[in-house]
Amino acid sequence: MKHAIETVGLTKRYGSLTAVNKLDLKVEHGTVHGFLGPNGAGKTTTIKILMGLLRPDEGTIKILDREIRGDTPEARLKVGYMPELPRFPKHLKGWELLDIYGKMYGMTTQQRGEQIPKLLEMVGLKGREKDLIGKYSKGMQQRLGIAQALLNEPELVILDEPSLGLDPVGMVEVRELVREIAKEGRTVFLSSHLLFEVEQVCTHITIIHKGVALASDTIQNIYSKLSGSSTLHVELATPSDIIVEALKKLSFVSDVTPDGNMLTIELKTNDDVRPQISQEITKLGGVIVSMNLKGQTLEDVFMQLITKTGGEK
Amino acid sequence: MREKTGGDWKTRFLAVVKYELLWNIRKKKFIGVITLAFTLATLSLVLPVALSNMSGGELEANPEYVISTGAGIGGLGMFLFAVVMVMNSISGEFESGTIVPLLTKPVSRTTVFLGKLLAAFITLLSAYASLFIYMTVGGWIIYGPQNDLYLLPLSLLGTIISTLVWMAIVLAIGTISKSSLLAALGTFGIFMALTISSPIISFFTNQAWIMHYLPGSGAYGLIQIQTEIQGVPVIKSISALTGTDSIAANLVNYARYPSANVTFYSLSSNPLEPITEPLSFILLRSLAVASAYIIGFLFAAWYFFKRTQVLE
Ligand SMILES: Nc1ncnc2c1ncn2[C@@H]1O[C@H](COP(=O)(O)OP(=O)(O)OP(=O)(O)O)[C@@H](O)[C@H]1O
Ligand SMILES: [Mg+2]
Repeated sequence: MKHAIETVGLTKRYGSLTAVNKLDLKVEHGTVHGFLGPNGAGKTTTIKILMGLLRPDEGTIKILDREIRGDTPEARLKVGYMPELPRFPKHLKGWELLDIYGKMYGMTTQQRGEQIPKLLEMVGLKGREKDLIGKYSKGMQQRLGIAQALLNEPELVILDEPSLGLDPVGMVEVRELVREIAKEGRTVFLSSHLLFEVEQVCTHITIIHKGVALASDTIQNIYSKLSGSSTLHVELATPSDIIVEALKKLSFVSDVTPDGNMLTIELKTNDDVRPQISQEITKLGGVIVSMNLKGQTLEDVFMQLITKTGGEK
Repeated sequence: MREKTGGDWKTRFLAVVKYELLWNIRKKKFIGVITLAFTLATLSLVLPVALSNMSGGELEANPEYVISTGAGIGGLGMFLFAVVMVMNSISGEFESGTIVPLLTKPVSRTTVFLGKLLAAFITLLSAYASLFIYMTVGGWIIYGPQNDLYLLPLSLLGTIISTLVWMAIVLAIGTISKSSLLAALGTFGIFMALTISSPIISFFTNQAWIMHYLPGSGAYGLIQIQTEIQGVPVIKSISALTGTDSIAANLVNYARYPSANVTFYSLSSNPLEPITEPLSFILLRSLAVASAYIIGFLFAAWYFFKRTQVLE
């Protein structure tokens, strides 16, 4: 399988601090890959190495099957990048900047003429493109950052914390945008510490902590690999010991705790077993008032992985 | 020099030039220094007229005015232009963080560096050319018809070469330190140290030859030319400086008096036996010294820029 991003043994040190530690990152073509980690995990450092802003101490990098070594401008031709909290020259106007960047991508006058208004509209800067960037708010610069990352219709889009500094509407828009880019078959690699964002748009995730990749897989695989599992809350019309005992005997149930009308059922699995449970209760004459499955969230996985390694160190 | 990016290197390069040019001409500092330069130029033209009017006299016609003053951009002026032109061009991008989106476009760092350099050069050339034109027209109006105006482009060229020396120093300090403030202050320090030490070295030691090889005005000498005023042979003295700041004047003087010699009194341990060098030699030496500084400092700036990591 061809990878859009492939690093082997990527290591970056700042003095005695190892910001990225032997990272093997593989981002498949056509996926939305979330790069997840707490503050200072090494996400930005990794992305800056991918973009040629920092030199790695060890390891190799391939972007769109091209090896990155030193200054490799041709590798960036089909890559769009939005820096973490991007800053643009405040003496230029929004459209001037996009036009100049477009020329740097080798886009023709016609391509620029079509693409720039489309992007300005998409990121909600239409009507402000003739203002100097110095007059833009932080969120507007962030939006300009998204526009310039999509300028060259890139095969690979790298977004470093795209929602940082955006209002809630902007955050929703970013998610929609990412889904749209993905629909066109392009690859998105986005770093975030917002779990719900990653959960909603990503097909794959890599979790990084203290420069080390703790997990890297599809979202489904990450969930099903969980050691712990889900909990089911069932509210019955009338409590019944027979039902509790019967449920305890089910193979996928580890424990049942009754509390008045409520039963808390610990499950050994992460699969959805609500039909089997409800069938069992109904068979024994019980009446279910409500049923609430609390599966393990990405947050649980994240916390689990992070605290485990945090404790070791 | 072509990048294997599939597109046209020239388009990318010109995009960088435009990026930088738009930035340059909208800089408050640049607008300020241009305004200052034109104000000073106007004052230098108008003040003598005002003074002579006050003393009731008439200003005498001087056909040598324009060719001997050029645009009137002295050492300090060239230094100021250089600082204002390039103190931000690389370090400022690091300070503001705008270097990140720029360097992640498919343009090589060398292209970015050369584009910024060309933009600074174009801005400088336009600023100087307009000053030259302004001073020529003003000089003509005030002092009457002017001699040898065809030599003005040579004077412009010399002024630009001299300014490039300072520009290269500012760029190198700025790129290496990534601080615009340090670039400006560091170069100012060098400028002041040289300006203060020049006369001291010239007058109190007999090592003034050092001045030939330092950026700045250089050692002081005199050109003596046999000429005639109304049929009477006279010897006319023109002061000549050997440093990188004086290339414009030396170029013009050489074009007018190719076989002139420059006499230095301070270079000699015995004032009765002054040292004499041909003007052509002094001109070539100052051009060589200036080129060495320009190439050396620009190379250093480029090398660091090429290798630097963007930590910001
Ligand atoms: N310029 C620098 N000099 C020294 N250390 C640095 C530098 N930049 C980052 N670091 C350190 O490297 C580590 C990784 O930083 P990085 O910015 O990559 O984290 P991150 O995952 O992007 O965090 P965040 O979510 O806060 O953006 C941190 O410990 C940070 O302190
Ligand atoms: Mg970061």
